[in-house]
Amino acid sequence: MKAASLSYAAAASATDAVRMLSSPEAKVIAGGQSLGPILNLRLARPSGLVDVSRAADLRAVTETPDAVHYGAAVTHAEMEDGVVPDATPGWMQTVARRIAYRAVRNRGTIGGSLAHADPAADWVNALTALDASVVLTRSDAERTVKLEQFFTGPFATVLAADEIIARVIVPRRTLQARWAYWKFCRKTGEFAKASAAVLLDPARNQTRILLGAIERPPVLLPDAEAIMTGSITPARAVACAAPELDAASAAMHAAALTRALAMVAA
Amino acid sequence: MTRIHLRINGREQSGDAEPRTHLADFLREEMNLTGTHLGCEHGVCGACTILIDGRPARSCITMTAACQDADIRTIEGYLDDPVMAALRASFKKHHALQCGFCTPGMLATAFDIVTRLPDADEARIREELAGNLCRCTGYAGIVAAIKAVLSEGVPAPAIRPIKRVALAASAEASPAIATSSAPPTGAVEPTASLEGGVTLSRNVAIAVSADHLWRELKDIQRVAAALPGAAIDTVTPDGHVKGSFTVAIGPMRASFGGNAHVIYDDASRSGLVRGSGGDRLSRSMAAGEVRFAVTPAGAGHAMLAAEIVYRLSGPLAQFGRGAVVADIVDRLLQQFTANIATLAQGGAVSEKPQGGFGLFAAAILSMLRRLLRRGQRRDQR
Ligand SMILES: Cc1cc2nc3c(=O)[nH]c(=O)nc-3n(C[C@H](O)[C@H](O)[C@H](O)COP(=O)(O)OP(=O)(O)OC[C@H]3O[C@@H](n4cnc5c(N)ncnc54)[C@H](O)[C@@H]3O)c2cc1C
Ligand code: FES
Ligand code: FES
Repeated sequence: MKAASLSYAAAASATDAVRMLSSPEAKVIAGGQSLGPILNLRLARPSGLVDVSRAADLRAVTETPDAVHYGAAVTHAEMEDGVVPDATPGWMQTVARRIAYRAVRNRGTIGGSLAHADPAADWVNALTALDASVVLTRSDAERTVKLEQFFTGPFATVLAADEIIARVIVPRRTLQARWAYWKFCRKTGEFAKASAAVLLDPARNQTRILLGAIERPPVLLPDAEAIMTGSITPARAVACAAPELDAASAAMHAAALTRALAMVAA
Repeated sequence: MTRIHLRINGREQSGDAEPRTHLADFLREEMNLTGTHLGCEHGVCGACTILIDGRPARSCITMTAACQDADIRTIEGYLDDPVMAALRASFKKHHALQCGFCTPGMLATAFDIVTRLPDADEARIREELAGNLCRCTGYAGIVAAIKAVLSEGVPAPAIRPIKRVALAASAEASPAIATSSAPPTGAVEPTASLEGGVTLSRNVAIAVSADHLWRELKDIQRVAAALPGAAIDTVTPDGHVKGSFTVAIGPMRASFGGNAHVIYDDASRSGLVRGSGGDRLSRSMAAGEVRFAVTPAGAGHAMLAAEIVYRLSGPLAQFGRGAVVADIVDRLLQQFTANIATLAQGGAVSEKPQGGFGLFAAAILSMLRRLLRRGQRRDQR
């Protein structure tokens, strides 16, 4: 099937994009790698598309001593290739390489992934575990929201209709920190069936354990320390954090968590 | 129409494209370059993979308008590239194609592998090929062909990646986006059946008498008001309702127009709403039933039990992933029972679907989940 009729305009900057979004039925398009299929099936029928994929400021990356600020339109492939700096010791690069296929990564963007808020998406889970934030822009204001507070449900975020993700702020991590992200999928390049991430950063005094791909926003597990020491088993942690999962899915999540824990211990 | 300028297979070309046209359609329909194949149009099968600015991309989910001034290479334009020549010979030698449907996409991906990953071993080649499906060869010949080119030495490519140029911030004022009228909905013959539908239920205790709550439920307009996303056009005295239900799931939106029948049984203070409808634009169908019953629950309280059964078919059913559904269905059922409670106690509820999630979204998603599960089972067979 083909997309329903719509108008199209390319934004040259975030400000430009926000201005063009003032029409209520207009929608942002970045790489189109999630929106494209939905448009083709006519499951989304925006009256217009505002293309942010070539907006100069949304393609820019800036570095501060403490973090890297990625423009929302940076692609997965640019992360994979190291064309943009990695705020972590190569961890984001590894996450990027496992997203979909190269042909999709060449166009799909980090901001598009987060805005789409698919609970199984890799950036949704990995960047939440990494304590990243997004900078959201609208005509009169800018706000910074931690990813933990950004996702409100499956495919749902705090983004207002006339608001866009401008940047993603990822705190720097050093080699003293340890990290694991485990994604289960039946076929290379698929969305995760289950995922787990573990971050141990003594320098920032952070221990974060995340359960993802649970068809709602990821959860950061309470009692991370107890899970690390083994006094709470992965199966128990999964059962407490996501009691709604059926037995097979819970087992897969417990296995993902077990593997992630083993990776940071190794 | 948007005027598109592209460099296609080394030649500067211009053409008019409707803004909604994806690149594969533009190449095939406007440029007569039918070597680019379309399989799924979802980004999954890889048949449409071409080189945009020297990098493989899915032409089925790339908007033509987003490629303004880009360099496009399709199967018709690989002749003068030495790497492509080597791949072509190797594909032939290793029997890497049978029907050839996947081959244009396979070559674009193979080009990317041998130029970007000169040290790729067989495992990596297979990993990189995961996004290109072939129904004929079993992949062994394709992997062998790529391996052979890598081991025999990859010639210098003529096609090279080009940096994506950002638009100058001072670009001419971009045209404003037009606002469309409400999405059209139309009657589609309801054919969906509830067999195999998903059932979910919720009970809520409300601080009003059972009789009061029952009177509330007998007002169809008020019941509809409690269903976010529902709109009633006409109601006949015998309970036949014409109306629509709008659902939003992330960027997905469907508006189902159709008919429903409401049946009340005063003796048992129970009833049901059975309805079905279609979304003309996405050609998705939905059918569902809500059963409700009121029972006294101690001094001044009544218990409302609501159960929902839904089934969805068509593209919306095929697209989403199953497990998202339950969460939203449950949320919406909760919203419905909470709204009924508010109305019964004299409060007002917002008419708009909350946060874009109509109650029907729940329904649709639940049906969606069911269908997806069945789809997966079919795949496994
Ligand atoms: C076959 C296939 C397999 C895939 N597998 C995976 C996978 O394994 N893991 C994974 O994580 N992803 C996967 N994806 C999705 C892919 O990563 C997408 O690139 C990504 O989800 C969306 O990014 P995009 O730039 O293409 O966004 P688009 O599709 O352009 O947009 C997606 C949504 O985000 C909104 N949006 C985009 N940019 C902004 C912004 N700056 N501000 C506000 N809203 C914005 C749009 O309005 C739209 O609603 C897959 C996709 C395909 C086609
Ligand atoms: S047709 Fe484009 S990926 Fe299948
Ligand atoms: S050769 Fe027939 S699909 Fe690959």
